[in-house]
Order: sequence, then C-alpha cells, then structure tokens
Amino acid sequence: MHQFVLQRGKSAELRLFPHISELGIKKNGAIQLNTFLSTATEDIRLYYILDGKFGWRINHQPYVLYPGDVALVLPGVPFGSDNGVLDIGSFTWLHISMQKLENGHLLPGKWSGLSESEGAAIGKILLLNYSPVLCRFNEAGKILKCIHAELSGHEIGYQTRVNHQLDELLIQTTRHMTMQSNPGRDFPKTFMHLEEALRRDLSYQWTVEEMAALVGLGTTLFTERVKSYSGFSPINYLINIRISEAIKLLKRPDISVTDIALDTGFYSSQHFSTTFKKLTGYRPSEFRKNHLYNK
Amino acid sequence: MECIITIELGTNGVRVFAFDLSGHVLHSMKGHYPTFHTDPDHSEQDPEQIFITTLYVVKNLLNQYIYPKKYKVACICFSAAMHSLLAVDKNGNPLGNAITWADNRAKKEAQELRRSALGSSLYAATGTPIHPMSPLLKIAWLRNQDNERFKQTSKFLSIKSYIIHQLTGKYLIDYSIASATGLLNIHTVAWEADALQYAGITAAKLPELAPIFTTAGKLKMAYQQSLGLPADVKILIGSSDGCLATLGDGVKGEGKATITIEDSGAVRVMGPTVLKDEQMRFFNYLLTDDCYVSGGPTNNGGNIFDWFAKQFGDFTQPFDITHSIQQLLDEAAQVPAGSDGLLFLPYLLGERAPIWNANARGAYFGINIKHERKHFIRATIEGILYEIYSIGKSLGEQRTIKSLSVNGSFGTTPFCTQIIADMFNKPVHLRREFHSVSFGAWLLSATEMGLYRSLDEAARIVELPDMYEPDQQRHAMYADYFNIFEKLSTKLFDEFEAIGNLQQQYAATNLLPHNSPL
Repeated sequence: MHQFVLQRGKSAELRLFPHISELGIKKNGAIQLNTFLSTATEDIRLYYILDGKFGWRINHQPYVLYPGDVALVLPGVPFGSDNGVLDIGSFTWLHISMQKLENGHLLPGKWSGLSESEGAAIGKILLLNYSPVLCRFNEAGKILKCIHAELSGHEIGYQTRVNHQLDELLIQTTRHMTMQSNPGRDFPKTFMHLEEALRRDLSYQWTVEEMAALVGLGTTLFTERVKSYSGFSPINYLINIRISEAIKLLKRPDISVTDIALDTGFYSSQHFSTTFKKLTGYRPSEFRKNHLYNK
Repeated sequence: MECIITIELGTNGVRVFAFDLSGHVLHSMKGHYPTFHTDPDHSEQDPEQIFITTLYVVKNLLNQYIYPKKYKVACICFSAAMHSLLAVDKNGNPLGNAITWADNRAKKEAQELRRSALGSSLYAATGTPIHPMSPLLKIAWLRNQDNERFKQTSKFLSIKSYIIHQLTGKYLIDYSIASATGLLNIHTVAWEADALQYAGITAAKLPELAPIFTTAGKLKMAYQQSLGLPADVKILIGSSDGCLATLGDGVKGEGKATITIEDSGAVRVMGPTVLKDEQMRFFNYLLTDDCYVSGGPTNNGGNIFDWFAKQFGDFTQPFDITHSIQQLLDEAAQVPAGSDGLLFLPYLLGERAPIWNANARGAYFGINIKHERKHFIRATIEGILYEIYSIGKSLGEQRTIKSLSVNGSFGTTPFCTQIIADMFNKPVHLRREFHSVSFGAWLLSATEMGLYRSLDEAARIVELPDMYEPDQQRHAMYADYFNIFEKLSTKLFDEFEAIGNLQQQYAATNLLPHNSPL
C-alpha cells in the first residue's frame, strides 16, 4: 500500500473531477503531535480506517474508530483530534464538494447520475439521520479502493466509473447510516423519530419515498407498516400533523392564515382552507374567530 | 337501520367501532397519536392532534363503511384512558399539552402525600391510589412548579372532557373518569373538599360531574356537516376504558374478575361496595353511583415482552415484531411450565400494584447451567403473569373469584391465557374479537337507548365463548414457584432503590456516544 494525497488544483489525476477536493491514503508509524488539527470545511469528508485505532473528535464529541469504521464529517462540522495527535495506524479518505441549497439542503452536483429526487432525498437523510461514526462499514473501504484504482489506471471509461463509485458511496453511506439508527426492530421508536423529523420541517413537501428512505424501508413495506401501526397512509398521517399544528397557530392572533398554510406545508391558503373545512366543518378564518386566545 | 359508534380515546391512539343494534361489529378503524417525552419523567399528548385524529378516523369510518350501507348513526359513546390532565384558559384553549397517566413528574408530591395521614384519608375518600398518575398530584405539581400555567388555568380537564367540549361546547366529566382524578369522593359522588384544598383549587375549576348515561349536549353544526351526522345524534359521555372493559366482559355480579393485559395490565372486579386496603394497593372507580370497579394496575404487561422481542427476537423482515413474537412463543412452548425453575421479576418500568414501588427493577433469578435461551423466553412470560396473579391473589383476600375473563392483546394470546388459567387454578373465558372496552361502550349505549332495562341486564347477555381449563399439576408447580417470586418482589426493596439511584446518577455521566469508551 502506497501513501499518497491527491488534491484539487494540484493533482492532474483530479482534473476531470472538480467535485473531488481531496483523496489519499496515510500510514502512520509513530504517534505524532500537531498534525491532525481540528478543521471545518464545506465538503463531505469520509475517513475509512484500514488498521490501528484512532481517537478523533467529531462535532466536539470524542469517538474511537477501529478498522472498518468510517468517520463521516458533514459540511461545517469540526473534525480533528485533541492537540492534533495522530495515532498509529492507516486510513484512507475522500473529500467531496456538495451543492448546498439556500434552505441548507445538500445535493450532489451535475457529475452525479442520481435522479434529482433521489439526490435530494440522500442529501436530506444525511442531515436528518446524521451519526458521525458508521461502524463496520467495509463496503466504503472497497469503494474507495476502487476509486483509487480507477484514478491511477486511466482505463477506458474511468471517468464514468469514478462518478458511479461516488454515487455508490453516497447511497451506501445513507443506507448504512439509516440501518444503524433504525435497526428494524422497534417500529414505535422509529415512527417517533420519523414524526419528529416531519414536525421539524413541516413546511417541506415530503414525499413518501423520502419518508421511507428516512427509516430505511422501501416504499411498499413502509406504507404497509405505517398503515398498520398508525391507521393512516403516510401522507394522510402527515396531513393530520399539519392540521393539528395549524389549529394551534390559528389560535394565536399574530400570524396570518396564509403564513399558517405555508408554514404547515400546504401549497396555498386555498388548499389549506379546503382541507381544513373538509375535516372540521370550519373555514380557517371562521375557526379562528371562535377560538382565539385572549390577548 | 340504526347504528352505534363508540370512540375509545386510548393511550396510543383512538379506536372507533360501529355496531349494529344487536351488538355486532360493522367495522372498526384506528388512528395513532404520539406521546411526547421532553423529559424522562414527562409523558404528554397534543390535545389538538387527538381531536383531529378522532375527527379524521370517525369521518373515514362513516364515509367508507357506514353511510354506503345506509346506516343512520343513533348514538356516539365515548370511553377514554384514565388520569389525563389538560389545563385550558377561559376560552377553552389548551395551555400546553395534555399530561397522560404515564407521566411521573409529580413523584415527589406523591411520595410525600402517600406517607401522610392526609394521604390515607384521601385514598379512602377518593378510591384513587396516591401516585403521580393521579390528576390530584399533577395539579399540585403545576401549582408548585409551573405556577404561571396554574394561575392562567380556567379549567382542569381530562382529554375526553376536552374532546367533548370541542364537539358540543360543554364542560363535562363522567363519573368514571372523575373517580380516577383523586379529587372525587366516591362515596358521596361529589368533589372532595380536602382534595380540592390539597390541589389548591375550587370545584369551579373542574368540569361539571355527569353520570355515564349523560347526553353531552348537541353536536355543533360544523361537525354535523363535516361528519355528515344528523342534528339529533346523541353524544353519550360514556365512561373510562378500565370500567368499560370490565362491563364489556360481563363482570357484573358475584364471583367474577377480569384481567386486561395490553402494554400494561390490570385485574378488576365490580360490585356495590369498595375494597378497603390499609396498604392502599387497590383502586376503586365508579361505573355508576352504586357500582364500583375495583382492582390493581401493573406497569409491566405486553410491553415487557415487546422489549424482550426487540432485544432478543429474530427479525427476518424489518420491524416484523409479530413474526418475531410468534417465534419466541413457539420456542417458549418447548419448555415445561415453570421454566425449570427460572424466575423473572418483570419490573422494568417500576411497579404499581401490588408492591407500589417506582424503584423496582427487573431480574432473572435461579439461573442454572442447564437453562437455555428458550427458558429465558418462557420465564419472561411467566414473570409478567406471576405479577398479574399476584394482584389477583391480593384481590382474592377480599372477594371470592370463581371465574376469570381475559382481554387485551397480550393476555388473549392462547399461550398466555392457558398459563393464567393454570396459575389462578380457575377457568378463563375470553371473546374471539378483542374489543371489550368498545363492547362495554355499546352495552352502555344500548341500555341508555332502552334496549336493556339496566346495565345488569345488559352485562348478562355477554357471552365469552372460548374457555381455558386449569391443569392441577401445573397449578401446583406454579404455586410453589410463586412463593419465591412473591418473596423476591419485596425482599429486594433496598437494593431496588440503590440500583435505581445508581442508574440515575450514572445516566447523567454516560451520555457519550456508544462507541467512545475513552
């Protein structure tokens, strides 16, 4: 195993891959100080442990990583080790630049073969299910090795294959992370996490695919499980939360009906009004008149 | 054709049933609503979400299954979980979330009151054990810890009272729910002055008391329209889930007791007198002003076996706990009754009846080198049921119990029902469809509508066709093991407290992520 570092702007190998800002392999034979200082960047950074044992701090929390583990560092998250100590062992890493939207959501760039909705879903799930250490994630090691090989081999089709592998890495990382936070045993608990995620971002136009991916299930099985647990289809359950939240807001005098509609995820105040009236018999404005909190 | 709708406002969600006038289920639907734990001791629900979920489910049921068959809704009857508390302002708008029975925030208040002379006299007067579940203590907590909300409160409601108020504009609380607040004198059926004083409120802060047959006002026009209901549909206030499950199993009369085991559990009897108990182990709630539902509740029922399945069961498909539990039950059946002497104390959630010890914790006892995985499975189930038996045994000191009925998803598992029959050494009856609470609400409605002359007459029509007979040999063995189980349940009192304290103490320092054993 050869040590190397490729960096955007410096290494010719990356000329066709402007979205890769760095990749490399390091083999550390003796403990070193002041070499692995904490930094925060705009990239997604992945560190895969090949051997040894590393004590790192991610987002201010200490973690110990063993061979097969991956440290996943999202944009803006500080990562490094105390006093810049680098333990003995070896690891390989990759930094990818993502597109960051105004609402904070992440998207892979144009290089990606992921569909727009799947790319958006992956970006969202990485943020929502974020856990910085992915344990026993050997697939990541294989993918990184393959990317190294393609970059040094330059065989026909390598540009496509590298980008394929990057997509593969994003998909596997998302799945692994979801698996780790939802091991598929405790549906009530998983459902509660889902509900919290929906409430945190109620104005977002959630799709069933995104909700399903968030708990690590395919849409068919997800819809079935949600229906049998909650009595509602996923979308109807979401509407249920939206109207319950809207009712609370309607009772406060300081926010307009249109704002309430948009804040709780309805397309328009018309859409809100129709849905609300169908269920409660009141138009939102009528309901508000009858139920205002005293100022 | 007329039909009756029953609405059960439960702990995890609402269940709505439609019955015809002969008591046959036309259809049922459910809707889940969440419980929020913003603090480990807190357990809250959003009253607006409960209301919207209820509307949603009722509307879907009516439109999809009842109206297409040309049924007309004659009556809607409510049941609800006990002990919830919701503070509302003078316009009836919620001040924060509803606090559920499982909320423990008032534990300090409860501990102090339970030890005092006032506690004993309040227990005797109100029939509600002195416990954080009781709205009496929750109100006291609000006064002490959230005085702003306490002062703003115009009414202290139950969840059911809030839903009824939304639908009809009336503030009412039925006898059954009221008798579980710790504020009602169950002998005089009036708010108890000493309890009001302890809570720091006047009766004006509580909804109006109403017998379970009360028509709770007229359904508001808006809901008549959205639900497609006639203006004269009767809204019956109904009763509590515990009382109605007992009625629904026909446990009115001598010699009968009913066991409910869902997530949590209870053993209940019904009769014209209360159970008196110096140790304050039993509750006495009102069905009507001359009929008490008495018994003991446990925290540790089917939820404990769910816990076991989630930790140790096999999951071939994600989240398929039904399959996982079935496999565990099959394995448990390979072990003889008594689990070859492996005992399990099921107190993972602390315990209410009969030991009333919030510090109690779980334990496996008597493990020897021959015990296998399957023994642990069976011992876990037997431990949950020994606890049920323990409540039943203490009830048996005051009431003669000749036969039992069982309801609730865990208790009605054939494997469990047989063990219950063997432990109690009594025949156990159950119905094939598991809806005792809603059937109780149907009996109540049918009686109110004049189909039966009295609840007694209504209860007599209850038929529980399935029966499990006890086995003498197994009973003798369970009785031997139970002696040890019973001793262990109190013997470890000091150690329960010590381990509970350590768990709490170190929980605060062990917040580091799982893979950082630095």
